[in-house]
Amino acid sequence: MFHPTIWCDSDDYRADVEVVDPKKCLEESCKPKCVKPLLEYQACVKRVQGDESGHKHCTGQYFDYWQCVDKCVGPKLFAELKW
Amino acid sequence: MVGGGVIQQILRRKLHSPSLATPVRSWFSSKTAHVDTGSSGVRAFALLGAGVTGLLSFSTVASADEAEHGLACPDYPWPHDGILSSYDHASIRRGHQVYQQVCASCHSMSLISYRDLVGVAYTEEEAKAMAAEIEVVDGPNDEGEMFTRPGKLSDRLPQPYANESAARFANGGAYPPDLSLITKARHNGQNYVFALLTGYRDPPAGISIREGLHYNPYFPGGAIAMPKMLNDEAVEYEDGVPATEAQMGKDVVSFLSWAAEPEMEERKLMGFKWIFLLSLALLQAAYYRRLKWSVLKSRKLVLDVVN
Repeated sequence: MFHPTIWCDSDDYRADVEVVDPKKCLEESCKPKCVKPLLEYQACVKRVQGDESGHKHCTGQYFDYWQCVDKCVGPKLFAELKW
Repeated sequence: MVGGGVIQQILRRKLHSPSLATPVRSWFSSKTAHVDTGSSGVRAFALLGAGVTGLLSFSTVASADEAEHGLACPDYPWPHDGILSSYDHASIRRGHQVYQQVCASCHSMSLISYRDLVGVAYTEEEAKAMAAEIEVVDGPNDEGEMFTRPGKLSDRLPQPYANESAARFANGGAYPPDLSLITKARHNGQNYVFALLTGYRDPPAGISIREGLHYNPYFPGGAIAMPKMLNDEAVEYEDGVPATEAQMGKDVVSFLSWAAEPEMEERKLMGFKWIFLLSLALLQAAYYRRLKWSVLKSRKLVLDVVN
């Protein structure tokens, strides 16, 4: 199966290439797990775009999405770092 | 919100009681058995209505509270988390380097001395050399004048600003807090600081941050004065570890955790040792107590009627 651990590894074989930040990389790989809150957020963005009052915002959906991503990334991140 | 719910409840009771007074009385005359269920049914409905109103109003306030409290940070598996786990001292050394090169221009760590670093992150010679790089005001000398001299091990880490007012003036009114105890001074400190440093993102739709502030979902309120400081390869580590944003975040938080709790390793060892010994002592004490009390616990009392 697709293994994000290998993909986001910042070990020597990438030394001549630009370093890849493992956190950003894992957040990308966790996106498929959090599609539902992401779609909710995008739907909210569409609703807010048409708003003229300036009071509408998507903080709730944004927090739901990022909380999902954080839960996914959290246990995996430190395995990619030097320790 | 609770007060609002209670007021609603009182209003509903007042509204319901006169209108339902007659049916209650008629119920009372015809079927006494049903009175209690009828009035309690009405009361239950009133309470349910009050509860629902309270809950609904609570939910509208909760969405405003979300940004106020900041996004909850996840729990990261810190290497020094276990009951007998020590700090990663290589990480502390790298973290000090990050602090010195990235953070020290704005944040003081006035409770840490150079000598504290000896044996933790640097050798004595290295720490002495680092201390000698800074200029410290000392005095007064024999002539009564203050003078500057190179730093010694006993000196504290240098402060970027003379006082809080100077710090605020240089940072648009915001005070960069002293970092000596920051991981103990914030709820879930280690995870919070890591999430904050690595969590700078674009704000959600509909949120605009004023000029001079930056969006960070983990910061209570969302608008933080500090810009994103950790960028890939901002620091070149001495030991050659790739300095990604996450790596620097982890190392600097390890350093800050050590700075706030330098006694952690000794504390864990002491804790483990004494909890073990006291458990043995507990077993011994329990046995001894039962031994002494056995005399009383095993006696027999005979009640004899006196004629």
